[in-house]
Amino acid sequence: MSSTAMSTVRETDRDSDRWERTVPVFGFPVVNGFFLSLSGLVLVALALTAYRELAGLGPVSGMNDAFGWGIWKTFNVMVLTALGSGAFAVGIAAWVFRRKKLHVLMRMALLTSFLSYACGLLLLGIDAGRPWNFYWIVFPWRWNMHSPLAEVAICMSIYAMIPLAIENIPPVLERLWYFDSRLRPGVQKIEKVLRYFFPWIIAAAYLLPGMHQSSLGALMLLAGERVHPLWQTAWLPVLYLGAATFMSFGCVAGTTMLCCLVWKRAMDMEVLDEAARITAWLIFGWLGLRLLDILFRGAFVTALHLDRFAAVFWLEVLLVSVGGLLLLRSLRTGEKRSMFLGYVLSSAGGMIYRFSPTTLAFRPNPEALYFPATVEVLVSLGFISLGVVGFLVAVKRFAILPAPLHEWYDMASYFRFRRPYIRWTGYFKYGYFGEDETETNGDD
Amino acid sequence: MAITRRQLITGIAKAGVPAAIAGSVCTGKLHAESIEMPSAAVGMLYDATICIGCKACVAACAEANDTPPDTRGDALHQAPSDLNDLTRNVIKLYKPEDGSVFSFVKRQCMHCLDPACAAGCPFQALHKDPETGVVNWSAEECIGCRYCTITCPYHIPRFQWVGFNPRVTKCEFCSHRLAKGLKPGCTSVCPTGAVIFGPRPVLLREAKKRVQNNPGHYYQNRVYGETDNGGTQVLYLSKVPFEKLGLPELGPESVPAKTLRWQRRFYQYFALPAILYAGLVQVIRKSLNGHELEAHEREKETGLRAQL
Repeated sequence: MSSTAMSTVRETDRDSDRWERTVPVFGFPVVNGFFLSLSGLVLVALALTAYRELAGLGPVSGMNDAFGWGIWKTFNVMVLTALGSGAFAVGIAAWVFRRKKLHVLMRMALLTSFLSYACGLLLLGIDAGRPWNFYWIVFPWRWNMHSPLAEVAICMSIYAMIPLAIENIPPVLERLWYFDSRLRPGVQKIEKVLRYFFPWIIAAAYLLPGMHQSSLGALMLLAGERVHPLWQTAWLPVLYLGAATFMSFGCVAGTTMLCCLVWKRAMDMEVLDEAARITAWLIFGWLGLRLLDILFRGAFVTALHLDRFAAVFWLEVLLVSVGGLLLLRSLRTGEKRSMFLGYVLSSAGGMIYRFSPTTLAFRPNPEALYFPATVEVLVSLGFISLGVVGFLVAVKRFAILPAPLHEWYDMASYFRFRRPYIRWTGYFKYGYFGEDETETNGDD
Repeated sequence: MAITRRQLITGIAKAGVPAAIAGSVCTGKLHAESIEMPSAAVGMLYDATICIGCKACVAACAEANDTPPDTRGDALHQAPSDLNDLTRNVIKLYKPEDGSVFSFVKRQCMHCLDPACAAGCPFQALHKDPETGVVNWSAEECIGCRYCTITCPYHIPRFQWVGFNPRVTKCEFCSHRLAKGLKPGCTSVCPTGAVIFGPRPVLLREAKKRVQNNPGHYYQNRVYGETDNGGTQVLYLSKVPFEKLGLPELGPESVPAKTLRWQRRFYQYFALPAILYAGLVQVIRKSLNGHELEAHEREKETGLRAQL
């Protein structure tokens, strides 16, 4: 590769804000006040978890005989894994429907998915009354194949532990590759194996979430009429899956925009517009299906009653549709503000939808009431914080966040000239071409 | 011309897709949907018009199941207000405000022929005995997910909220007594014969005879549980509407058969997911090849290592 050819490319690309490469967030310390307070919440949650394991669920939660499920399941698992379905939704758009621009968002999608699933599954284990019996998961003849809950529990754990975890390996390998030239042959060997199995792994990573995100909706089918008619429908699995797709697009693109704001990165409006266009389609498709289903079942009358169910329904529809309209508006005007707000509102509406059948619109009997206890909320927050802490560490230590090409060169010069004493994160020890400089220079 | 491996695989897939879709979607009735009567189905018949509400069955139930009496109400009397982690069987009173006819009701597991709790139970901790039809709970498989408390249309299984080793409490028909040739605790003490034990077909005949001999005495002149929710092994007779006693009108089709029809079809033999998977692998392979070509070219242009 001649140096002249290289320099021409570099000069043209230096001015471009096109997201081309994922680059670690540099120049910002991992540990700061925000990070420490989140870690504090995590520690509190862990201590309370120990107490919960000894005392049982009753003393720490607002769950009761009528509301057998509290926010640990209905919010942390049912709602937050929908936000974390980016690896599924963005992945299918990029790899199956070949929206090539979205490839650069994939690492964000994979990371947020992995963290939300991991934290959700941990809390699922804490929420289970007899978690030690989870070992039956390795004995397929014990599975109840027709149970939606078995489908969710088995499929979710397998998905998070195998395909999703493997999909997250490349950034780690990449860092090892830059870390030390002696590791490179080994890294390349692993990459070759990964490359060979990748189609099978990715395909599983799309099939499994498709199955369990829809089965999460199927869970409440068995509850029958105790779920309010605005929500109880045979289409629940499809609607749950659909909500997960636009919510996760909102989570991935919205989080990326937020990170760009916080860590002062250029935004590539071509990629963001593509994501917003797909999200808007998903939102209005989903909304259409939801409203048509309600109309055809004749449940629309209940939406006109003056009660809390109708209020929740209209709030949800309003948030989702306004979010979708804001996204369309941002596509027309190019306003980043309305795009971000569109993602936030539509995802919030989707969260209300996913939260409703199990909690807000669940009426086991007229006098039943559920409100989460303080400990329950603290543990729930603690496990969300765990995900955020993981995210903060990951984006600052691995190449996750998309950036223009010049960000990579900036990072290299930053560590070479302003922080030359940092040796232990390999993006910096060797130049940005990845060549081993110790051999050529002889110093070090 | 020789057939390559690729041609063979795609050929099989092309033929297999319509066949599998037809096979899994168009099957008339699934195995899980046809409800079979257990060979030696036991049953209970509870006649609310005879019950005097003495609660002897409540005490006998606790004794038979070796559970301490639930005196949490007033720290003195065994008077649980509802089913709970110590109470498998409870007598409740339905007394309308307007002073019209009142009724007692014995709340306990209905032992449905197609139980929703077992349909949802992930590792078959709740399972229906193939012979007696009793829905039993086993501590070795239960993960404590409490899905049974959500799925049961009669709201019977109760979770133990306190303690590190919680259990699910529900009537298990005194299976340990049945094995010894004894009747369930509640039926052995009832002074008026409001609840009686026997084979389900015999009890159903008896219940129908009572309805026939007293026309107009029983609500709707029918036995609750004959066909409701696909049929239950505990049968009810009452003079007040069944809904008032906590027995909702669910129709003749069982809850799992009614609600999980499409779920079951989709996952039958795992055929559709397997086909979807095969298709996805093919599409992704192609995308991956294209993606890698582009990445390599860009790698040459920029001199920076491609990122997957």
